Amino acid sequence: MTGWVAANLISVLNGLAIGALLFVLAVGLSLVFGMMDVLNLAHGALFVVGAYLAAALAGGGPSWGGFLGALGVAAVIGLLAGGLLSAMTEPLRTRSHLDQALLTLGVALIVAEVLQIVFGDDPLAVPAPPGLDGSTSVFGAAYPTYRLVLIGVGAVLAVGVHVLVERTTLGALIRATVADREMVAAIGVDNRRVKIAVFAAGSLLATVAGVLGGPVYGASVGLDSTVLILALVVVVIGGLGSVKGALVGALVIGQIESLGRALLPDLASFVLFGALALVLIVRPRGLFGSRSGAAA
Amino acid sequence: MAEFTLSRRTLLALFGAAAATPVLAACGSSVGGGSTGSSGGGAGGPIKVGLVVPQSGVYAALGTDMQRGWELWLQQHGNKIGGRDVTTIVADEGENPQTGVPAVQRVLQSDQVDVVVGLVNSATALGAAPLMSEAKKILVVTNAGAADITGKARTPYVWRTSFQNAQVAAAAGPYLAQQNVAGGVFLIAPDYAAGTEVRAGFKAAYEAAGGKIAGEAAPPFGTTQDYQPFLSQIRQSGAGAVFCFFAGAEAVRFVQQYAQFGLKDSVPLYGSGFLTEGGVLTAQAGAAVGVRTSLFYTDRLDNPANTAFVQAYKAAHQSAPTCYSVSTYDAAAVLERALAGGAALDGDSISAALGGIGAIDDSPRGSWTFDGQSPRQTMYLRTVEGTPPQLSNVVTQDLGQKAQV
Repeated sequence: MTGWVAANLISVLNGLAIGALLFVLAVGLSLVFGMMDVLNLAHGALFVVGAYLAAALAGGGPSWGGFLGALGVAAVIGLLAGGLLSAMTEPLRTRSHLDQALLTLGVALIVAEVLQIVFGDDPLAVPAPPGLDGSTSVFGAAYPTYRLVLIGVGAVLAVGVHVLVERTTLGALIRATVADREMVAAIGVDNRRVKIAVFAAGSLLATVAGVLGGPVYGASVGLDSTVLILALVVVVIGGLGSVKGALVGALVIGQIESLGRALLPDLASFVLFGALALVLIVRPRGLFGSRSGAAA
Repeated sequence: MAEFTLSRRTLLALFGAAAATPVLAACGSSVGGGSTGSSGGGAGGPIKVGLVVPQSGVYAALGTDMQRGWELWLQQHGNKIGGRDVTTIVADEGENPQTGVPAVQRVLQSDQVDVVVGLVNSATALGAAPLMSEAKKILVVTNAGAADITGKARTPYVWRTSFQNAQVAAAAGPYLAQQNVAGGVFLIAPDYAAGTEVRAGFKAAYEAAGGKIAGEAAPPFGTTQDYQPFLSQIRQSGAGAVFCFFAGAEAVRFVQQYAQFGLKDSVPLYGSGFLTEGGVLTAQAGAAVGVRTSLFYTDRLDNPANTAFVQAYKAAHQSAPTCYSVSTYDAAAVLERALAGGAALDGDSISAALGGIGAIDDSPRGSWTFDGQSPRQTMYLRTVEGTPPQLSNVVTQDLGQKAQV
């Protein structure tokens, strides 16, 4: 019986690690979607860019230089890509969501195909940095050290984003734009700038999440769509445009993907979307979605 | 690392370049010589072959290996099959039947090919079968392993030179039963058709030989990024060994996480050979060393035909061949045998001829024969040996000749 409890505690711990990663991935998607009604389907592709960067810069074997270098390069690429995506979606802001979805979907397909041409068809592994690539004994079973560190990194980023959005003037501007874009414009703020900043920051977090997730998920063709779906589920469960929602959504999905599958292995395919359906029935706007109806 | 082929990729040129419109027409690129436009034809006339393999999507690496196998055979035989000049039309199968079946239809109708070779995806092969029956032309499947292709949905026009999912898994059953694994074997394969066939095939063979299944798991296919919940389940089951089936990126993740969660040293990992075949082995690196798999081929097989094959293949591509290369190489070999006897190019003649070609005794995989339109072939137990990045599947034991089950 103690074995059963220990095994499930490991699943809980693992859920935290996956949740931390999902938060870093999803928070940008949530803010962009909540603020601008832009459905950025290229978000998953940005994650995979980060993962491939980590694989490429790791080169022969695990090294801190390669890993930190990948984080740096991914951050820069994320910023630029976010700015570019923001500029590309700008002319469509008066058009329907479908046009924006189609544009970003096209971008996602092109990015994925280019990555496949550059890095080849074979899936690549991303080694964890030296010292973190081993296992640590947790509750009497081996657990990958890197994932333990990932929980810490995720927590630090969550606190950072929370402080930025909830405690600073810039954050107040972001929240105000999510709440009522027109009113923010009416008081003389150019909300296109806010949009560019949020798009860039959100994309940066997505590519950084790709590097951080590399040692867990690897880098492969098709990873972008899987990751995008997870991020969308997190955003829908948490509620659009809410940092708190993204955090809670990510932690919930982390536990569902980990503990849920461990406890209900026969329903493994179902638990994720089962939970999503449940949330949509009980709280159609998500756990922390507070907007009074989506702006058309 | 696999290289990419250009035909489908040239579509990318569309990105930003309206001038690339003619590229659309080049979706199937043409290689090889021979005059075009004449299908059928008398003995000695040209033959047109549609090679339908994935050039995009998650199976693209397999498609590359398959095309290389096909081209190597042609190159070694003066670009002739059964004395006929060969024109190969390459088309992109993509990932699923939504792209694969139209690709088959296109080579049949637009390109008027005489024979179709290739197909990775089983659903695509099953979807293409009615087209082949309607056109009365031969399809040689060189990967797709579903039982139904040469079983329930059998037609005289669809033959297979690769394997059947359950055949590969079942071969390991008696071996593991003999090992008397304490605690039994835990069985894990993704929750889709091929995974289900593997689980059923292994379980039947293992239990018939006196083994005991310690537990089973079916992770969602294509969406499982993290195997921790299932690894935890394996640990709790007390199993003495694990038999699994994963391919591509899932194989990389599963083998790596199996090692990261400390199971590698305590619970030996076995699987269907695709787990450690080709490019995935490089990515798995150290985590794969010692993993044992069953398959009909490894580039480390010691026979004269394979030695020559591996040497020629490596000289051309700087990488080792895989089972995918061999299956497609052998597709050319069986067509050669069927057409050398003077069979006409229609499906009924080739099908009848394929039924009587006997043993293919110069295959790199060792001698094999058709049994119910799918290979009866020797299965090998292979162990991953070496130090990364120089890893290979070394033959540990000959598991004997097996037909499809």
